[in-house]
Amino acid sequence: MTFEHLPAASPSLTRLVEELNKLPGIGPKSAQRLAYFIIRLPPEEAIALADAITNVKQAVGYCQQCQNLADVPLCPVCADSRRRADQLCVVEDPMDVLALERTHCYRGLYHVLHGVISPLNGIGPEQIKIRELFARLEGSQVKELIIATNPTLEGEATAMYIQRHLASSGIKLSHLARGLPVGGSLEYADELTLSRAFQGRQEL
Amino acid sequence: MPVPRTYRAEGLVLKHQPLGEADLLVTCYTREDGKVRAVARGARRPTSKLVGHLEPLTRVNLSLARGRSLDQVTQAQVVDSFAALKGNLSAVAKGIYVSELVDGFGVEASANPALYHLALETLACLLPSDGQPESELPLRYFELRLLEVSGLLPELYYCVECRQLITPGDHRFSPNAGGTVCTQCAPPDAHLRPLSVRALKVLRLLHRCPLAELPPLPMDAGLARELKGSLAATVEFWLDQRVKSSAFLEHLRRAAETDTTLTPAANARAE
Repeated sequence: MTFEHLPAASPSLTRLVEELNKLPGIGPKSAQRLAYFIIRLPPEEAIALADAITNVKQAVGYCQQCQNLADVPLCPVCADSRRRADQLCVVEDPMDVLALERTHCYRGLYHVLHGVISPLNGIGPEQIKIRELFARLEGSQVKELIIATNPTLEGEATAMYIQRHLASSGIKLSHLARGLPVGGSLEYADELTLSRAFQGRQEL
Repeated sequence: MPVPRTYRAEGLVLKHQPLGEADLLVTCYTREDGKVRAVARGARRPTSKLVGHLEPLTRVNLSLARGRSLDQVTQAQVVDSFAALKGNLSAVAKGIYVSELVDGFGVEASANPALYHLALETLACLLPSDGQPESELPLRYFELRLLEVSGLLPELYYCVECRQLITPGDHRFSPNAGGTVCTQCAPPDAHLRPLSVRALKVLRLLHRCPLAELPPLPMDAGLARELKGSLAATVEFWLDQRVKSSAFLEHLRRAAETDTTLTPAANARAE
């Protein structure tokens, strides 16, 4: 979308609106509001925002080991010698690492796939960091691989792909329990969720 | 008479994509209204009443409210989740291929119950029977019948050039011209491909026989490739685009041939 029809806008403002409009969830109106908000910011705050964007693009790369986003060769989790090196949790996105870390119940290492196998979108195993996972497992001391992909069709397909690939590796494979969410309701649960909740029931 | 504000439909969820903070944009193929794209508000929240009911490859009863640009899913109830299919990677890949083709050939606000029932019939037969090897024959059946219910069935009995009855021989198949080309005709068609008598017989059988009643067919790799080439090329010709999910199917097929499990180093550690 172009904003050339805005006669009152300067070219630099129009450019800013166009750039903001490229962000996910930001439509043309929101982009205009954000642009005018940035104009009204004190100069030092606007420059800090621009600096943060520039820095993040220059400094942040992938952790050599887990492929999580990091601005050093090894991310803090991989560099922490207190973490269990024999457990590896496979997640879809960096944000999943943050969610699992908030639970404080997992002390192993991670591997971030940066996506899932999504045939409808033309994303196969080659387009995500799955090859890096298999390479990492070769000769490693990992004894258990915990697959924490989302319980969606594509997340499950990715889990099955990893399982099929590692079936004869001798590594214990597990995935996060499927079932009812806290605060959920049996009445509204679908049959697949309920059947898996039954299969994964726990002794009290 | 005004159009009712809400309506119900039974459909197959083909795909969904995130929309906004917690919504889903769901694409279904319904028996009553053809392809429907609708927003499921809050469906990405773990406690959503809709979550789980709107997973792709799920047959659902839907309640929808008409919107200005997109309809809204107000209720969804699973009819069949195809749970067994979803536990098999190859069957999932085939199911996704089916859903991509239904999405491609389905038309919004234009019901085609035959297409809906064909998709369900195919999904029900994607898992190999006990003791049977994996086969892509259900996909070939689906492709041929999909072309038929869309009014695009390739000609399998007469030459599309000279209109003469096809007699036994090594014929050709033209996706662009719409079917078999006899041995005498030589149209200037770059997409012309060989079609053996065996392949032609299988195509005719797929056209005549319901999927569940197909007899076990002795399929070698060459015949499977020939059938796939002819039908997939025809489907892509009419779609006018590549079928994205076929790449993953091909990846799985190649992996099964080479049996790419983890390298010997890890296997040795396991021992």
